[in-house]
Amino acid sequence: MLRTRVIPSLLLSGDGLVKTERFKNPRYIGDPINAIRIFNEKEVDELVVLDIGATKSGSINFDLLGRITKEAFMPLAYGGGITTAEEIQKILGLGFEKVIINNSALNDQRLIANAAAVCGSQSIVGCIDVNKTLLGKRVVYRHVEKKNTNIDPVLWAKELETLGAGEILLYSVDRDGTYSGYDLDLIKAVASKITIPLVALGGARGFEDFKAGISSGASAVSAGSAFVFHGPRRAVLITYPARDKLRELDGLHG
Amino acid sequence: MITIIDYGMGNIGSLENMIRKVGGAVCVAHSAEEVLDADKLLLPGVGAFDNAMKRLGEKDLVTALNQKVIIEKRPILCICLGAQLVTYTSEEGCLPGLQWVRGRAKRFCFNHGVELRVPHMGWNDIDIKRSSRLLDGIGAENAFYFVHSYYLEMDDPNDIVATTEYGFEFPVVIEHNNIYATQFHPEKSHKYGMRIMANFKEI
Amino acid sequence: MDTSDPFIEFDEAGNCNHCKRAMQLAKRYPRSLSFEDRKKALDSLLAEVKRNGRRKRYDCIIGLSGGVDSSYVACRVKDEGLRPLAVHLDNGWNSELAVKNIENICSKLNIDLYTVVLDWEEFKSLQLAFLKASTPDSEVPSDHAIVASLHEIAKKECCRYIITGYNSQSESILPSAWSQGHFDWRYIKSVNRRYGTKKLKKYPHYGYWNFLRLSAGLGYVHGVKMINLLDYLDYDKEIAKSYVTEKVGWRNYGRKHGESNYTKIYQEYILPEKFGFDKRRAHYSSLIMSGQLTREVALEMLNEKLYETDEQLNEDLFYFTNKLGISKHEFREIMETPPRSYFDFPNYQKDPLYHFLANGYRFLKDLGLKQ
Repeated sequence: MLRTRVIPSLLLSGDGLVKTERFKNPRYIGDPINAIRIFNEKEVDELVVLDIGATKSGSINFDLLGRITKEAFMPLAYGGGITTAEEIQKILGLGFEKVIINNSALNDQRLIANAAAVCGSQSIVGCIDVNKTLLGKRVVYRHVEKKNTNIDPVLWAKELETLGAGEILLYSVDRDGTYSGYDLDLIKAVASKITIPLVALGGARGFEDFKAGISSGASAVSAGSAFVFHGPRRAVLITYPARDKLRELDGLHG
Repeated sequence: MITIIDYGMGNIGSLENMIRKVGGAVCVAHSAEEVLDADKLLLPGVGAFDNAMKRLGEKDLVTALNQKVIIEKRPILCICLGAQLVTYTSEEGCLPGLQWVRGRAKRFCFNHGVELRVPHMGWNDIDIKRSSRLLDGIGAENAFYFVHSYYLEMDDPNDIVATTEYGFEFPVVIEHNNIYATQFHPEKSHKYGMRIMANFKEI
Repeated sequence: MDTSDPFIEFDEAGNCNHCKRAMQLAKRYPRSLSFEDRKKALDSLLAEVKRNGRRKRYDCIIGLSGGVDSSYVACRVKDEGLRPLAVHLDNGWNSELAVKNIENICSKLNIDLYTVVLDWEEFKSLQLAFLKASTPDSEVPSDHAIVASLHEIAKKECCRYIITGYNSQSESILPSAWSQGHFDWRYIKSVNRRYGTKKLKKYPHYGYWNFLRLSAGLGYVHGVKMINLLDYLDYDKEIAKSYVTEKVGWRNYGRKHGESNYTKIYQEYILPEKFGFDKRRAHYSSLIMSGQLTREVALEMLNEKLYETDEQLNEDLFYFTNKLGISKHEFREIMETPPRSYFDFPNYQKDPLYHFLANGYRFLKDLGLKQ
């Protein structure tokens, strides 16, 4: 039976890993190579690496990415600063299974279509950052400009699927790092309108949140804080649920 | 020595890492000459069918591969898209495949009411149908990483070593003489994948 | 112990200076007391810790590495009813086993955890500096940072007590030629200045006065007391391993310091190959002196290869160089540079005041006058 994937998401800033809260106040977590090595030894299902500074700096840290792939014998997805099909091919060639396109898709919809034609849809993940406005409306958020757009995340998800994305990474900005649980209404709304897999990210504290996310329609669940912090002092410590516990998530979703 | 064929579409880095991890020697072939020099081959593949066949053709690799695989009968392991390339056609494209094993690649298409998403993406267990040196040491408890939108359909059931289930049962490990193919990615399947690679190293 | 320690001295009876020192340590407080008196002393000490910590969130700090000693301390401290804050130093080299052990200890014993994460780029530069300096002291950057961090957090949390996992029964013997300078910030700075590529802005450290106090076994200037809990017990590592395994599911590394991917390569390859030091000699000698191991068994164990297979060694070396961002060639250069020592660099011990104070203090302690 297809297992439900539980995916740690790691944020890169410069050469180090960080963790944010609502996309702000990055807190240093440590060396990415060692973190990935530990996740690899824990045999995690998959890993997402997002470089939150790459788009702004205009450069992708290929050297670090190459060193990261040497430590992982499970699928890796990379996002951050990708603007061309050549970059996508280079990243896939280094050993990443998938690339995550966020900002670039908002700027140029042809990128996803071109990349999917060359590399196949299964290698392309469309990432949607979703924020809540003051009035409580959910909109797509531009993380580089730090601005809300007036784009509906559900419609944008459908558009990304049409363009050729093989998966959607749905990232809740207002829940990021807060341990307040996934935005289940958002997950339900998007999942019901697309046919490609959906990965939920932002707000998960632990197993109960994963369960709720899957039951709401996510195909897979992702988290940052839940896997890098431990205890009331939020001590940096890499953890991952035991395999038999994770099996309880299988078969929950459609 | 395992020679990975680099035709611009595949996870070369990860394959090299895993072969090294299981104690094997590995090199990468970029040209037909280098393929012709090889003892044992590995054909990776990530991406679209037609694009892959076009690139193999452009680099004159098809002739070299036919020489090594069909005539010299050197062992070859074909992974993911590579597995689909060994068949005759794919619904994904118009070009013919390498045509080494009778079969085809078809797009996942589920009956109305079945809520399964495409691609088949994630960890799934395989059901071993017959013994194969490639799967030595793999038991009933296993899991491999899949990510594909097209599945294999083989004409000869004897070619099918293992299947999996995603809405229905379909082949995921093929063995036809010296040709081995896996729909999943062993280089991304932790200890189970390492077992496969270690086995292929010994073939 | 043998002449791989260049400063070893044997008397006519064949006893070396290490054994003599170990025997002295075995007579030092609290080891000098009988079992019952040690228990009474410990009970009274722990009562003082509880009293002092009454209106505070935690009454003591414990260091937690995931190894057996600190894990055992964590279990004992909770058994005794203390409310510790566990502090772990993440220097970027944690093995998965260490991290899992720490998780199990903190979850199952309900201990709050605080992690000090060293800035990896800075620390990498410092570690590489020590490797290029070619002294056998490449563990000093971590050891120094651990002590500094424990004390800084004790101060922040207003905790007067740090309960350590140090025990003279398994750590009484360690030649200074094999590793020194742990408390010496001047030494660390000078190595970094000569070979490092980054300034040490975030690295936890302490200066001269704390160097003096820690060299004497005292806590920090700002009044933190260090309690070597295991010295009050008849601490046996094997029994401790069974205890923590049963209590919290602790997993054995199979070797000392297996909790760090750096220490593993450093002690099992670099030290023996480059310097000729096998730290197992010192560790087993300590265990022999405290009766936990016989000389015959120890000699047999020394015959076991440090690295079981070449593949394992190659894999570890691959990770080591990949992580530090150095090529095979640069690593070979490090291995082939002639060894130097702590005394080739500016350090606090060269200071005459240190010698005066150290000699005086050692004299008093050996008389049993200082506790």
